[in-house]
Amino acid sequence: MNFLNRHIRATFVAPALVFVIAMMIVPIIYTTYLSFHAWNGSARRAPEYLGLDNYTRLLTRDPRFGDAVARTFIFTGIAVGAELTLGLGIALLINGKFMGHNIVKTLILLPMVATPVAIGMAWLLLYEPNIGALNALLRGLGLPPQDFLGSASLALFWLAVVDIWQWTPLMALILLAGLTALPEEPYEAARVDGASGWQRFMHLTLPLLFPTMIAAVLLRSIDALKTFDIIYTMTRGGPGFATETINTYGYIQSFEYFQLGQASSLLIVFFTLILAVSLFFVRIRRRWGAAL
Amino acid sequence: MKNAPFLKAISLTLAIAFAFAALLPAAPTTAQDNPLTAGVSDKFAGTELRLIFANHPWNNTIQRLIPAFEQASGMSLRIESYFEDQLSQKLQVGLTSGTSTADAFMFRPLQEGRLFAKNGWLFDVKEFAAADADWNWNDFQEAARGTVTFEDMIFGVPIVTERQVLYYRKDLFAAKGLSAPTTLEELEAAAAALNDPANGIAGIVMRGQRAAAVTQFSSFLYSFGGDWVKDGVSALDSPEARAAYEYYGRLLREYGPQGTTNMSWPQAVAILQQGKAAMWIDADSLFLNATDPTRSSVAAEIGFAPFPAGPAGSQPYNITSWALGINELSENHEAAWEFVKWATSAPVVAELQKSGNPGPRISVWESADGLAGFPEEYAEVAKLQSTRGVGYDRPRVIGVGRARDIVGAPIVTAIEGGNLEAALKEAHDQFNAFLKEDN
Amino acid sequence: MSSYTSSVSQPLLRSQLAQRRQRRLLWGTLRYAAIVVVLFIFLAPFLWMLLSSFKTQVDITNAQNIFNFTPTLENYQNVFQQYDFLRYLLNSFAVAALSTLFSLILGLPAAYAIARYRMQWLGVVLLTARIVPGITFLIPWFIIFSRLRLTGTLTPLILSHMLVGMPFIAWIMISFYEELPLELEEAAKIDGATPIGAFLRVALPLSMPGVITAGIVAFIFSWNNFMFSLVLADDQTRTLPIAIFNFLTYASVDWGGLMAAAVVITLPVLIITLFVQRYIIRGLTAGATKG
Repeated sequence: MNFLNRHIRATFVAPALVFVIAMMIVPIIYTTYLSFHAWNGSARRAPEYLGLDNYTRLLTRDPRFGDAVARTFIFTGIAVGAELTLGLGIALLINGKFMGHNIVKTLILLPMVATPVAIGMAWLLLYEPNIGALNALLRGLGLPPQDFLGSASLALFWLAVVDIWQWTPLMALILLAGLTALPEEPYEAARVDGASGWQRFMHLTLPLLFPTMIAAVLLRSIDALKTFDIIYTMTRGGPGFATETINTYGYIQSFEYFQLGQASSLLIVFFTLILAVSLFFVRIRRRWGAAL
Repeated sequence: MKNAPFLKAISLTLAIAFAFAALLPAAPTTAQDNPLTAGVSDKFAGTELRLIFANHPWNNTIQRLIPAFEQASGMSLRIESYFEDQLSQKLQVGLTSGTSTADAFMFRPLQEGRLFAKNGWLFDVKEFAAADADWNWNDFQEAARGTVTFEDMIFGVPIVTERQVLYYRKDLFAAKGLSAPTTLEELEAAAAALNDPANGIAGIVMRGQRAAAVTQFSSFLYSFGGDWVKDGVSALDSPEARAAYEYYGRLLREYGPQGTTNMSWPQAVAILQQGKAAMWIDADSLFLNATDPTRSSVAAEIGFAPFPAGPAGSQPYNITSWALGINELSENHEAAWEFVKWATSAPVVAELQKSGNPGPRISVWESADGLAGFPEEYAEVAKLQSTRGVGYDRPRVIGVGRARDIVGAPIVTAIEGGNLEAALKEAHDQFNAFLKEDN
Repeated sequence: MSSYTSSVSQPLLRSQLAQRRQRRLLWGTLRYAAIVVVLFIFLAPFLWMLLSSFKTQVDITNAQNIFNFTPTLENYQNVFQQYDFLRYLLNSFAVAALSTLFSLILGLPAAYAIARYRMQWLGVVLLTARIVPGITFLIPWFIIFSRLRLTGTLTPLILSHMLVGMPFIAWIMISFYEELPLELEEAAKIDGATPIGAFLRVALPLSMPGVITAGIVAFIFSWNNFMFSLVLADDQTRTLPIAIFNFLTYASVDWGGLMAAAVVITLPVLIITLFVQRYIIRGLTAGATKG
């Protein structure tokens, strides 16, 4: 006990550090190692050294990868963009006191805590073109029924809708917290100057809220880029490859094709992309003077 | 320690399961009078065998018979079940790392067979098969035996065979005065005539999901005179292949229900069960899904027809879809063989076939009993189709999963009415690149 | 207001006030209507799921009859009797509870040390764990765990879920400990407490609201985890999300059963959320507002 107390920093930090090294650092090193090799996982065949082959093939000769990267960013762009806009709208809507304020805040929490696989199932039934509720609704309104996830050109969009449904509340709650924390004085000054509601929003609320928005967008983008559960359970990347993202392609290469070397190179590229995106947002936030 | 509550839960479940097992009606007949377990030896009494099975009708039926085997052999069997894609993954994970504790498992010889055999994961049963004359390896269909033979080793024993058939709604056909189509031209005409979207009835439903559709598309490819591979290179650029993709896509695009590009067989058969399709083309081993009144609202109206003939005749696949393999790493090769031998013995196969699981044994197909489990009309079709056809329903390669994704992509493009020319060109190049590396 | 009265005549003022009141009433009504619409959009899929879970297959496929059906419990019976969901429920619960517990044991002291001893580098390492795609670890994990013969036990699931839970807990708690006044711990140390004692008896109890927040959210993350369990769980150790996924791919699509299973898995989380919503809002938004 005395020994532990004397080395208090190590005592507090060591268990977590050992865990992170064993579960994260070692695996990343191993994945990096595999990314330079060809290996199907068989214990009988040792990994065969390929140098950079896996990478050159991924970046130059694998059209599925390029498409998957593009789709990943399109998906993230649609989802996070819509979440930011709608989230801001909802935050403004429920900002300030009204009866039932807390109930509303609790109820909009539900989509984001619900299990994504279950969410996927529920939306799969909603989207079902023949028996689903959404087509029943469209028919009821006299509109043409949709193919939803069966349409190659729109399936990715419909998946993004599920993500938007699930995560707009998070955006709204973060922005709401940001709104509540805004200083009062500039608004009073603006009111004295006779600024309209719209002017106050454009010239005060938006700029003041900007750092919070960037942080929220960063948080959501990292997760949206990594979206797996909903895509894999709802379409498995289909129809064709129309909804295949980096994450699902990586999974399929690893655990369906067992091309562990090729998959590892993909995962390393994926990892680097996400890191780059994170740093990009951190940069923006720094420029705006907010400490991260 | 971490697992203590969990282990308790398992042992409780097991205890209950055993209590129930003891009460099962299979118990009263002793090993000697039960014809199903006549040849079973009790040499391995006390051994616990671990088996990994797929969620498949064969599994459901054999589980009913297993208590009798356990009684006769004195062995106890521990069975884990997975859906087929996950089974494949689980086996590969376990075998890859050399840690699989399974003694024997179900696998798809056309999907995983070559890979498993090549990686040395499957125990060669050639000597066992030759030694047991009563069990009679030669009673297995030649195509089935061929499917599980690779570079002079027998890597598994066939258990389920399947052929592609046409399921159709007799009532809808009769209402239009149509008879079951015998050519692909008639098939399209029938689909067009029966397609009635206003009343929610599609002319035809089939699989459209990129990888899942490949096996069902294969018969169309062969019947148009095409194939996956010719002389070691991709044959996807042949005019026959193009015509087959075009046809399959057109059929589903024009006369299929909405959302086919996300359908594997469970989704497709659901449409048939709900009475929302006039025809369904898929494996015959799935027929209970269509004809079981507890699952299908149109069970009584289902008719069967052989796969229609195309420009190259009627060339449906006729394959061994499942086999039992013995794990090379198992320490119980002989005990596992005792189980495999029993599960594939003529009386057990007959019993399984009576419950609707088409098997691999010639003698069973030829006996009266062998067809008793099938609807009358189907029996005719099955008998006809069990003697002909192509022995594979997907490219015969090692990395089948990847190959299916490559050759399946143009199917989706064809269904969507996209640029099939470009999709085929791309698939052709990808497939050739794949074939070069596939070793 | 008074500045207006002096310059405007009485009747005009009255009509202006009435107009303004009317406008405010209109806005208020519109706002409530908008809130109701928003709530409906976020809740409708849950209601649809719940409704469908009480329907037979026939009622579900009959899109014309949405509300007119006889409710049945058959789907729930199937889920528990045929598909052994009770075991998966227990697995899910054991994995979520144990991984959260161990995450707290590892994460709280680490967060405390980062806050008190300014070990920013460790904070960055933990943040990396939040950013790296989980799939990057899966290949090594599956090879290592199977070589160690740990597959088939709950251990790989617990350890993998901890890599999500632990950094998250630490990340939230750092700011809690930074805000905690140093004087209390120093007073305890003057009274003879060791550094460990000061942490356990002073800092930990004071940070309880944060611990609860972080713990609940980590529990939910583990409960919902799909990808890690998909690779690392086997027949005996399957958790609920995997069981549902299996259910989807097995046999023809049994929508009623699927929806019943979806309700079974979502309900515990929703109930927890309703009871401790304040903590959850704080936990989920912490990363962005405090960051």
